[in-house]
Amino acid sequence: MAEQTQGAVPLSAVIADAATGVALALRGEGDPYALSGILRQSDALTSAAVRVLGADALAPYAVEHRAAPVGADDEAVVRQALAAYPPGADASQVSVWSYRGLIEASHAFLPAGAQPWPAPPEAEAAWVAGDPWPKLSHRVSQVAALALPGLAPGLAEQLAARTDDLARGFVRAVRRRDWLQAAGLGRWLARLPDAPSTLGLDSGLAFIRQMGGADPRVALHVVAAQRFYGRGW
Amino acid sequence: MVTDRTAPVETAALAAEVEGLLEPAEADGVFRDTRECGGALLLAALLLISPPTPRPKTDVR
Repeated sequence: MAEQTQGAVPLSAVIADAATGVALALRGEGDPYALSGILRQSDALTSAAVRVLGADALAPYAVEHRAAPVGADDEAVVRQALAAYPPGADASQVSVWSYRGLIEASHAFLPAGAQPWPAPPEAEAAWVAGDPWPKLSHRVSQVAALALPGLAPGLAEQLAARTDDLARGFVRAVRRRDWLQAAGLGRWLARLPDAPSTLGLDSGLAFIRQMGGADPRVALHVVAAQRFYGRGW
Repeated sequence: MVTDRTAPVETAALAAEVEGLLEPAEADGVFRDTRECGGALLLAALLLISPPTPRPKTDVR
């Protein structure tokens, strides 16, 4: 047993691998995307990785005019993740929103199959209006996977009212060299309709990719902002 | 090193790790206020260029 666990891959490495696969697919590179192709269904960490990536695990299916159909086994992988890691009673709002995002993405991008997808859980959004801007920025960057076309329209509408605060958070994150937060915020700002032109979002995203693109999750956010909303270089 | 992705994993520990990865705490940042740094630099410069403290002459001519 000791020999087995000694060679076990940490969850963060599995997530990084999967994020790299998603980013490649969004760039249109590599083989046709299948979630079950980048994460093996029999892998103990697959469900955990899908749960952490949330809706991003299905992001390549949001690309219009995909050449290949949705992978047949992907539905099983997502159902497994949803069943294994539901948000508990004391789960954070980020956890609930991320779970909701994965369900919304399943509804939108995957066929229902024999069983219908579960209904998205109610997620509280009072923090969007009430959080001070640094805390809001931190939280919003953690739900960056929801910045996909058609997902969480209510959240996007509420965040639009705080676009300036998110722009402040974007600058703050870049100055702190917190590339993951900066990339997540940049992705949301790319989705929102009125990001200030003086922010320099396009060059900011290019800078983040240059400085923090070695982290696959940072690269994924930057690529998503470009692929879906045409922001960044 | 041969990696093994089928190694048994403690489910509860994994669930806690998932929650932690979903909402990691923000890294502490070190900020330097430009005005504070400028003030400190000016003070240091003034101390360096200030004349020595006048002392009573002790030598008798």
